[in-house]
Amino acid sequence: MDRTEVGALVRSAVDGDAAAWKALVEGLSPLVWSVVRAHRLSDADAHEVYQTVWFRFAQHLHRLREPDKAGSWLASTARNECLKVLKGLTRLTFTDDPQVLDRASEERTPEQSLIDSEEEAAQAERIRRLWQEFEALGERCRQLLRVLMASPPPSYLEVSAALGIAVGSIGPLRQRCLRRLRARMDAREAA
Amino acid sequence: MSGTHDDEALPEEGCDDAGFDGDLLEEELRQAAAVLDPVPAELRQLALGAYALHDLDADIAELTFDSLVDALPVRGVPDAPRMLTFRAGGLTVDIEVTGEGLIGQVLPPGPARVEVLGGPRAARPVTVDTLGRFTSDTPPTGPFALRLRAGGQVVVTEWLRA
Repeated sequence: MDRTEVGALVRSAVDGDAAAWKALVEGLSPLVWSVVRAHRLSDADAHEVYQTVWFRFAQHLHRLREPDKAGSWLASTARNECLKVLKGLTRLTFTDDPQVLDRASEERTPEQSLIDSEEEAAQAERIRRLWQEFEALGERCRQLLRVLMASPPPSYLEVSAALGIAVGSIGPLRQRCLRRLRARMDAREAA
Repeated sequence: MSGTHDDEALPEEGCDDAGFDGDLLEEELRQAAAVLDPVPAELRQLALGAYALHDLDADIAELTFDSLVDALPVRGVPDAPRMLTFRAGGLTVDIEVTGEGLIGQVLPPGPARVEVLGGPRAARPVTVDTLGRFTSDTPPTGPFALRLRAGGQVVVTEWLRA
């Protein structure tokens, strides 16, 4: 989302404009969800972190020092909450949730069950393969790409806040990770 | 999250990006995420409803201590209670969250009204003694905050995940 637009929406929401709040949720909730997903939390933890982030954002709305950077605020708050969850888990249980890891291989989303025509089935199959290869990437690439694929695309400032990495390193790392993913897809198709 | 993977340890294989369109692949990933891992509809709805939590009349009590972050884990005590401290101006609230519920203390000690919030519409009053001590036998699940009225001040603690 465009930063000046975000800043204006925050200011309108502070003044009581519910439509502005709605626009903020539409524009930035995919980013928050991507950050939570990038950290591989269980579904239950992911849901709670997502809610906590939005509750706190509503609470702090009128106190944001830089309303233009609300996206970065949300991204770094989500990251911090995810890290807290992971910290709490390491003392108790193993964090890998097989349900999350197997998500792409289970054909259980309503979108998929609606697909009937062959063309759509081929497209769905391609998406499923892409997702599997994405999930099989190394942790750094998987995290970065999961955040980058939010819709609308996040700014590098937001990505930096989401993952705690320098803005300058995002471009080169992105290119490298996408190239790896492409290579995996090519290898799979050749096999 | 310091996971590494063999294929990331390899040296960069040249920088020949001719013919490789990263933007296109990223866009395909974006489409895949929209189908396979979208924001769940109920969560989007909860975020919309969170607007009701924007409250200009209450001060925010900021989290100044969280045992999950600021304390070393106690050896041999895997289920140590979560200790939290919030501050707003001269008011301090200490909370201990356990599997059995929640114990708290408002400082400076004195009468107060305390509610446990669980979202935009869920508020549960708890009993506070004259010295500002309170107990709840319902452990908070998911995001929670406390709303306090003490010494003429209305304060809400920062939202937190129990």
